[in-house]
Amino acid sequence: MLDISFVNIICTILNLLILYFVFKKFLFARVDEIIRQRQAEVDSATDAADKATDEARRTKKEYEEKISLADEEKEQILSDIKKQGYDEYDRIVNDAHRKGEQIITEARHNAKVEAERSKEVYAAELKSMVIEAATKIAATRHSSAEDSELYDKFIREAGALTDDH
Amino acid sequence: MKELLVELLMEDKTLIHVPFGNGFFDIAKSVVITWIVMAIVIIAVLLLTRDLKVHNISRRQAVLESCVLWLREAIGGMLGEEGAMYSDYMVTVLVFIGVSNMVGLFGVTPPTMDLNVTIALSVMSIILVEAAGIAKKGAKGWLKSFAEPMPVIAPMNVLELVIRPLSLCMRLFGNILGATVIMELIRSVVPIVLPAALSLYFDLFDGAIQAYVFCFLTSLYIKEAVE
Repeated sequence: MLDISFVNIICTILNLLILYFVFKKFLFARVDEIIRQRQAEVDSATDAADKATDEARRTKKEYEEKISLADEEKEQILSDIKKQGYDEYDRIVNDAHRKGEQIITEARHNAKVEAERSKEVYAAELKSMVIEAATKIAATRHSSAEDSELYDKFIREAGALTDDH
Repeated sequence: MKELLVELLMEDKTLIHVPFGNGFFDIAKSVVITWIVMAIVIIAVLLLTRDLKVHNISRRQAVLESCVLWLREAIGGMLGEEGAMYSDYMVTVLVFIGVSNMVGLFGVTPPTMDLNVTIALSVMSIILVEAAGIAKKGAKGWLKSFAEPMPVIAPMNVLELVIRPLSLCMRLFGNILGATVIMELIRSVVPIVLPAALSLYFDLFDGAIQAYVFCFLTSLYIKEAVE
């Protein structure tokens, strides 16, 4: 029990080394390999999930940008339409103004023409009356009293005519 | 009682006689038992590690994986970060000593009750400790480390090269021998019931404790050497 044998010590050391290599090669290496594979799988799955999250975030941002762009576009279209409406309104009002002025001008012109014509008619009547009066004076012998009465009559008639107009 | 001790301590432990070398090459019983222990352990390892899978693991694989990781983590914790690469060897030693101590349950003399086996274990330990120190600090740094923390205690540090393996070897040997002696004594006094109950303590608990202590101390030395 107590004697020391060099050969047995060497044998035990060899036994230990053999056991160590068997453990290392068949126990630790195998278990480590499995754990490494599992870790690799978990890592790749995590990477994929991260990538998908990034992708989703980017897409969301894109859509938000698009939506804000659409808002701007809507504002633009609305303001365009408003501008068009104002323009159209201005145009119509201007047209109306112009037409009104034209109508007034025409009416003035017409009135002028009418006045000219009635003046002419009046002048023609006056002429024929003067001629008639002159004819009457020339045809009848008369006194100065009669003359003045005639003049008065003429003036009265002319006045009545003038009053008519 | 005296005869019992004489029988235990002085029994001829040679199992295989080699016809030449005048008994120098004789193989002791403990070495043969070690072979048997190794064979059992290796077969168990080979069976346990058969077709390991990444997914849908069997219960056997789950237990194996958690055992390996737990042992390695426990030993790695004692070794520290720098010495973590030696944890595989320490787990091997732990399993070897543990199983060797427990063969007493089957009525076989534990190999660790032979001084030659514990000497071999402690020699391996001190070689590993110093090799780890040299690998970490280089030959020069390793030599310098003897003069730390102060040069005065350098002789003590050199002595530790012998004291450490000696204490490791004697502690393991003495504990297992003591346990076996006590078990034999109890068996001679109370032949039934009590030996079975105490065998649980001495063979299982004490065996595991001694394996743990051996590994713990060696790990501590390695940790100290690589710091």
